[in-house]
Amino acid sequence: MKSNYKFISLSFLKRWQCLAMLMLLFALNSYSQSSKLITGKVIDETNQSIPGVTIRIKGGNIGTSTNSDGFYSIQAKSTDMLVFSMLGGITREVNVGNQTKINVTIMPDNQTLKDVVVIGYGTANKKDLTGAVTSIKSEEFNQGVMVNPAQLLQGKVAGLNVTKSGDPNAKPSTILRGPSTLREGAAQEPFYVIDGVPGASIDLLAPSDIENIDILKDASSTAIYGSRAANGVIIVTTKRSKNGQSRLSYNGYAAVEKVSKKYDMLSAPELRQYLADNKQTLNSVDDDGSDTNWQSLLEKTGYSQNHNVSFGGSGQASDYGASVNYLDNQGILKNTSLKRTIVRGYLNQKFFNDRLKLGLTVTNSNSKSSDIYQSQALSNMLFYLPTVSPFNADGTYKENYNRTGSGTRNPLSIVDNNDIDNLNNKTLINGMAQLNIIDGLKFTASVSSQRDQNNYSTYLNSQSGLARGVNGQAQKIDVLNKSQVLEGYFNYDKTFGKHSLKLLGGYSWQEDRTNDGFGVTTQNFSNDNLGYNNLFLSNPSLLSQIAFNNAPISTLRLISYYGRVQYNYNEKYLLQASLRNDGSSAFGRNNRWGLFPAVSAGWRIIGEDFMKAVPVISDLKLRAGYGVSGNSLGFDAFSSLLIYGTLSGSNKFLNNGNISNAIGPVRNENPDLKWESTATTNIGLDFGLFKDRISGSVDFYIKETSDLIYDRYEVSTTQFFLPTITANVGKIKNTGVEFTLNAVAVKTNNFKWTTSPNLATNKNKVVTLSDDFYKIAAIQTAQLGGKGQSGNFSQLIQPGYALGTFNLWNYAGKNAAGVSTYINAAGQTIATQPLTTDAKIAGDAQPKLIYGWANSFNYKNWDMNFLVRGVLGNKILNATAASLNNPADAKLQNIPRSTLGESFNDINAYLISDRYLESGSYLRLDNATVGYTIKPKTPSIKAIRLYVTANNLFVITNYTGIDPEINIGGLTPGIDNNNYYPKTRTFSFGVSASF
Amino acid sequence: MKKFIILFNILACLVVLESCSKLDVDVESQYVKDNFPVTNSDYAALFGTMYSNLSSQYGVPYWRMQELSTDAAIIPARDGNFDDGGQYRQLHYHTWTIDHPNVRDIWQWGFGGINNCNRLINLTNESAVSAASKTASLAEVRAMRALYYYFMMDLYGNVPIIDTFPVSTLPGNQTREKVFEFIEKELLAVVSQLPVKDNNNRVLVYGRPTQAMAYALLEKMYLNAEVYTGKIRYNDAVTMADQILKNSNYALDAKYSDIFDVNNGPQVNETIFAIPYDQQIPGNQITRFGFYPALAASYGINVGFSIAMSTTPEYYNRFNLTNDIRNSFWLIGKQYAPDANRKPDLSKPVFVAGTTTQIEITPDLILKPGKPMDLGNTVADQAKGVRSVKYWPDVNAIQATRLNGNDMPVLRLADVMLMKAEAILRGAAATTVNGELQTPLLLVNKIRSRAGTTAATTVTLSTLLDERAREFSWEAWRRNDLIRFGQFETEYPLPNDVLSMNKDLTRRIYPIPANELKLNTNLKQNPGY
Repeated sequence: MKSNYKFISLSFLKRWQCLAMLMLLFALNSYSQSSKLITGKVIDETNQSIPGVTIRIKGGNIGTSTNSDGFYSIQAKSTDMLVFSMLGGITREVNVGNQTKINVTIMPDNQTLKDVVVIGYGTANKKDLTGAVTSIKSEEFNQGVMVNPAQLLQGKVAGLNVTKSGDPNAKPSTILRGPSTLREGAAQEPFYVIDGVPGASIDLLAPSDIENIDILKDASSTAIYGSRAANGVIIVTTKRSKNGQSRLSYNGYAAVEKVSKKYDMLSAPELRQYLADNKQTLNSVDDDGSDTNWQSLLEKTGYSQNHNVSFGGSGQASDYGASVNYLDNQGILKNTSLKRTIVRGYLNQKFFNDRLKLGLTVTNSNSKSSDIYQSQALSNMLFYLPTVSPFNADGTYKENYNRTGSGTRNPLSIVDNNDIDNLNNKTLINGMAQLNIIDGLKFTASVSSQRDQNNYSTYLNSQSGLARGVNGQAQKIDVLNKSQVLEGYFNYDKTFGKHSLKLLGGYSWQEDRTNDGFGVTTQNFSNDNLGYNNLFLSNPSLLSQIAFNNAPISTLRLISYYGRVQYNYNEKYLLQASLRNDGSSAFGRNNRWGLFPAVSAGWRIIGEDFMKAVPVISDLKLRAGYGVSGNSLGFDAFSSLLIYGTLSGSNKFLNNGNISNAIGPVRNENPDLKWESTATTNIGLDFGLFKDRISGSVDFYIKETSDLIYDRYEVSTTQFFLPTITANVGKIKNTGVEFTLNAVAVKTNNFKWTTSPNLATNKNKVVTLSDDFYKIAAIQTAQLGGKGQSGNFSQLIQPGYALGTFNLWNYAGKNAAGVSTYINAAGQTIATQPLTTDAKIAGDAQPKLIYGWANSFNYKNWDMNFLVRGVLGNKILNATAASLNNPADAKLQNIPRSTLGESFNDINAYLISDRYLESGSYLRLDNATVGYTIKPKTPSIKAIRLYVTANNLFVITNYTGIDPEINIGGLTPGIDNNNYYPKTRTFSFGVSASF
Repeated sequence: MKKFIILFNILACLVVLESCSKLDVDVESQYVKDNFPVTNSDYAALFGTMYSNLSSQYGVPYWRMQELSTDAAIIPARDGNFDDGGQYRQLHYHTWTIDHPNVRDIWQWGFGGINNCNRLINLTNESAVSAASKTASLAEVRAMRALYYYFMMDLYGNVPIIDTFPVSTLPGNQTREKVFEFIEKELLAVVSQLPVKDNNNRVLVYGRPTQAMAYALLEKMYLNAEVYTGKIRYNDAVTMADQILKNSNYALDAKYSDIFDVNNGPQVNETIFAIPYDQQIPGNQITRFGFYPALAASYGINVGFSIAMSTTPEYYNRFNLTNDIRNSFWLIGKQYAPDANRKPDLSKPVFVAGTTTQIEITPDLILKPGKPMDLGNTVADQAKGVRSVKYWPDVNAIQATRLNGNDMPVLRLADVMLMKAEAILRGAAATTVNGELQTPLLLVNKIRSRAGTTAATTVTLSTLLDERAREFSWEAWRRNDLIRFGQFETEYPLPNDVLSMNKDLTRRIYPIPANELKLNTNLKQNPGY
C-alpha cells in the first residue's frame, strides 16, 4: 500500500502526521432527523441561569448548550430523552414526551468534584481506585514564597519528604517512601507529568496556575508509567476554564524574608579577650583594630514578589486561556536572586459535533538568576577573623593569602568580586488531539516538544581571591537540551449491567538530547568593566589559560507499549491490571526492553449490604496491589557502549612537541547493563465515618529495588583498565506505613474547622551490594575534609544498614588533661588522632517518623490555616560545629560562643566523630495563613481574598546547628557541612482576586 | 465500508508502530568503535593514553611511596594539618596498613596502565597500517607495558602477569622472579625495534620509549637482580650501560639545573626517559608540597602553597662537598629572593609577613608532644625542615591546580654511569667505552666534575650510596637504592619521637591492596601482612 511505504522512513514529524491523518479518517459526518423544536431554561439551585450546560439527545449525537442567559433550543422527537449535564453538576435526564418547553434545575455535584482523581492516561473516581493515590487541591497547597511545585506539598502528603534550603536557586529534594536508589538527582526524584505531558520540566509551572496535584505512590498506580516511575509519579493539572464561563484572576504577593537563625560567633573584642586569657596573640597582619560582623555583611533582608494574571473562557465548543506569572525572589545572601517570567497559553476546540477535540498549549519560562560561590562564601562567613576590616585603607579588599586555617579568604570579597549569572529559557509546546471514535472508544494523541536553553556565565574579577593574580577570569557555558514526546492511546469505557470496564492501550516515544553546547574559560583582561561579556578581549599568554568545557552530547530514547484494564462489578469489587513494555537506549543491546506489570484489587466494603447495619461507617474500602516500575536515570546514557573520549584528570600528553589530547575508552563499558526495577506491594484501607465527616486511609507497603544501578562499583584492575564500572548490583528495601486523616472537627453555620494529620514511617535497608560477578562489601561515601582529615570518609553504604549510615570515630569524652579521646578499633582509648580504620558504625540519617498536621478554620469571611510538620528519629552529623570548634586555632579563625566552654588544651576538639552526631528530630510551624474574603455586590468581581502568611514561624528541636532540615536526598543524607544555606523566616502579604 | 476503512487504518497504524521501536541513538560528541581509530592521528591520540595515565600519578602518589618511606623526604603534621588519616607518618615509619591510599591508588594506576597497553596491542594488531608501522607501534606499547610492570614489581613484588585483553579469569600472583623474567624477556624482544635518539628525532621520541630507555631499564633491573631474584647479574648491568654510553647523543649536561628546570625537555642531552609535565598536563606538584610558601611572592608566584614536605637533617648532611652546585637547591637558613642567576640576592631578604624578622629555615624536625609526628604550627615551627627548589618553582602555577611544568626524569645518563660504577664495585669487570677505561672512580668523578665540586680519591660502596643521594635527590629512586644497600631499615629518630619504625624485612615490598584482595579472590597477600 502506498502510504505504508511512506511510514517506513522514520522521522518524528512524519509519524505524527500519520496519526493525525488516521484520526481525521475516522471523523464521521453528522446526520439529521425530523423532529420538533424544544426550548427551555436551565437554572442552578440559587435560581441563577447557567450558561454552557450541555444538552444531548440520549443515544444520539445531537447536542447543544445553553447560551449566556441559560436558554437553549434543540430539535428532538417525542420519544427522545434529553440529557442535561455540566461539569460539577448532577446530570438530569428528561423525557421529551409532549413537551416543547422544558426547564431544568441542575444541582451542584460537590461529591464528584472532590472525588475525581487524575491517574495515568485518564481520570478515575476516588472510590474506584485500587492503588495508593493522594490528591491535593489548590486550596490545600502550602502558601508563601513557593518557587517549586514540590514545596506546595511539603508536609501534606504522607510518605513524601521534601527538603529545601533558603537558596532561591536550589531545587528541593523530594523523596517518596524512602530512598531506593544509589544515584543522585533526577534518579531519586518522583516523575512529573504536567497536563498529560510526561517528563515536562517543573520549572515551567507557576504555582498559582496549578489546579491540583495527584500523587501516585504505589507501583500499581505508577507502573503505567513504567521506566521512569520507580520513585512515584506526581501528576499536575493546571487551571482550565469551566463550561461557558470566562474567568479572570489575579494572584499576587509580596514577601519579606530574613535569616531565622545564625551561628553565634565571637565579636572582635571577645576574640581578643579569649586569646589573651589563653596567652595567645594574633599575628599583627590579622588584627587592625576592627570589629567586623561578617554574617551581617553578607546577609540581607530578602524581598520577593510574585504576580500572576490568568484569564480564559469557554464557549460551546472551545475553551482557552492564558496566564502570565512574574516572580522576583531575592535571597537572603547578598547577590543571590531569581527572577522568572512564565507565560502560558492554551486553546482547545471541538469539531464534528464534539467528536474531535484539538488542543494546543504553549508555555515559556524565562529566568535569570544570580548566585555566589556558596561553599567558600558560607564557610568563610563563619570562620574569617572578625579582627580585620574588609577593606584596606585604599579601598581594595583586604586579604591575607599567607594565613592558614579555615578562614583564608575575605568573604565579602568572595561575594562582591565573583559573579555567577545564569539565564535560562524553556519552551514547551504541546499539541493534543482527541477523537471519539464510537460510543465509549476514544483515541488521544499528544505531541510535545521542550526546548531548554541555558547560558551560564561567571566572572572572577581582578581583586578576586579565588583567581589570584590572573587579572580577571571569565567563563561562559551555553547548553541546549531538547526533549520530544509522542503519545498515542486508546481508551474504551463500557458499562453493561453491573459490570464496568475501562480499557487502555497505547504507545509512547520519547527522546531527550542534552548537553548540546560549549563552554570556554579565559583570563587576563585589561580591566573588569566588561565582566564576562567579551571573551575576545582577554589576553591569555599560555594555552593552559584557555580551557574548553568537556561535556559531550547525550541522547536517550525511550519507547513503550502499555495497556491497562480496570474492571469493577457493581462498584463493589474492583480489579485493575496493567502492563508496560519499556525500551531504553541506555541499556545493553540484549537488555533494552523491560516488562513492568502491575495488578491490584479493591473491595468497597461499604457497598455491601451488611455495612448498612453500621451507619457510623460511611466509607470503607480495602485495597491491595503489587507492581513493578523501573528506573533508568542518573547515569551516562552511553554506559553500555564502548566510547572513546578523554578521561578527566589524565587527558593530555606531549605529542612530538605539542600538547595533544589523549583519546581512549572513557569507561569500562558494560553491555549487560539493564533496568533497575522497583517492586512495590501496597495494602491499604480507606475509611469514612459519620457521613465522611472523618475520612482517611492507612497504607502499608514494601518497596524492593533490585538490580541497583551505581556508576562507581569497584572492579579489580587486574581485569579492567579502570577501577570502577556502571553495573546493576544490589538491592535496597523500604517498608513502611502511612496514615492520613481528614476530619471536619467542628461545623456550625458560621464556623468550620478541618484538621488533617498525616504520618509516615519508613524503614530503609540496603539488602545486598553483591551478585555473582561483583562482590562489594561496602561503599564508602561522604569525604567531608576538615583540618587534617582530607580523604576520610564519614558514611558507609553497607548491606544490613540503611542508606546514610554514619561511620565515625568513637568519641570517649575528654581525659584529665582536657583532650578529646577516642576508642580505636582495638578497643583502647587514645588521645591522639585515630586512623581511618578506627571508624565505627554510628546510626543513620533516615527518619523514623515523618508527620504533618494541617488545620484550617473558616469563620464567615475569615479563613485561617496552619501546617505543623516534622520528623523524628533521624541523626545529623554536624560537621560544621566540628570544624568551628577549634580553640587551638583561634588566632587564625573565629570561634563560636559555644567553644568558650571547651578546654583550650583540647587539640582534638575539631575532629569529626560521633560526638557531633546529633538527633535531627524537629517540629516546625511551617506556614500559617490568615485570610479575608470580600464578596462585593458587583457582578464583575467574584471575590477578593486578602491574606497574610508567615513561613517557618518557629521550630522546636534539640539540634544545635542552624536548622535541622538537612538534605535527606542524595547518597549522603543528613550531613551539615558548611554548605548549608541559612534558614529563613518569611512574611508575605497577598491578594487573590477573581473576576 | 466504514468498518473496512477503520480496520484498514488500524492495521496501517500497527505497521507504523512496529517500525517505531528503534532504540539505536547516535553518539555525536565521542568516538565509537566504528569510527575510531582510523587515521594515524587517531592512533597517536590512542597511544597517548599510555603517557597521560603515566603522568597522572607518577609525580605525587608514586613518588611518595618511593621517597617518603626514606630519609630523603618527610611530611610531618603541623598541629594536625597534614595528619590525613596517618598516611604520611605510616610511610615514614613503615607502618602502612593494607588499605593505605597510595598502595591502593598506585596499584590501580599500574594495572590500569597494563590493561590499557594490552588493549592497544590488540587494536594495533587489528589495524590496517603498514607492517613497519605495526612493528614500531607494538615495540612502543610493549616497552611502556614493561615500564609499568617494572614499577609494579619494584613496589609490590609478587604481582600477577597479565598480557592479554580482555582478561577472562582473574589472575593470581606470580613470584617476583617470574615477573622479572617476563619484563626482561619483553625488553630484550623489543629493544632492537625501538628508535635510537639522534639529533633529528629528539622531539619526536622525547617522553617515549627508545633503545636507550630499554637498555637503562634493563641495567636497573640487573643491578637490582640480587634483590629481585636472588641471582647476581652485575656483568649484564655493565653490558647494558655500555650500549647507552657509546651513543654520543647522550652526554652529561653542563648545567645540572637544566635537567630539572621548568622548561626542560628534549633539549636536555642526558635525559633517557622523562615524564613530560606542563600546566596542561597535571601530576607534578613538587613545589606545592616541597617549597616554603611564604617565599612564593619573592619567586614571582602568586599562589598559596602548602607547608608540608621537607627533607631530614641526616639526608641534608650528606650534601657536604665544597662548591657542589647540588647544595644550592636546598633552602636553609636566612632566606632571600633569588636573583637572575637563581642565587640568593643578599640585598633582598624575605621577612615573615607583617614583621621585620627575616624568614629562617632550620633543619631539625623537633617534634611537639600531643599529636603523632607533629611539629606544631607556630611561625618557627612552619620553618622547620629543609625545603627544595631542585625542580625550580614554576611561575606559571595557578591557585586552582598548583602544578609544576617541570618534566620529571626517570632514567638519565648520570644514573647509567653511577649504576655501572656500582656494578663494578660489586664484582663486575670494568669495561672500555669509546677508548676510555671506565673505572668506578672515573665515573664518579665525571659526575662530581659536572656538579662543580672536588674529585674523589677513592670510591667505596658506602661513598657511592652517598653520591647517589646527592645526585638523585627527590627523583623517586631513594627507596630502591636503600633496599639494595640493605639500609631501608636504618632509622633516624626525630627529636622527641615516640613512634618507631617497623623494621620487618617484609616491609621491603608493599602489600597487595585490601580492596584488590576482596575483588580478586585469586590474589594472595604478600608475606608479613
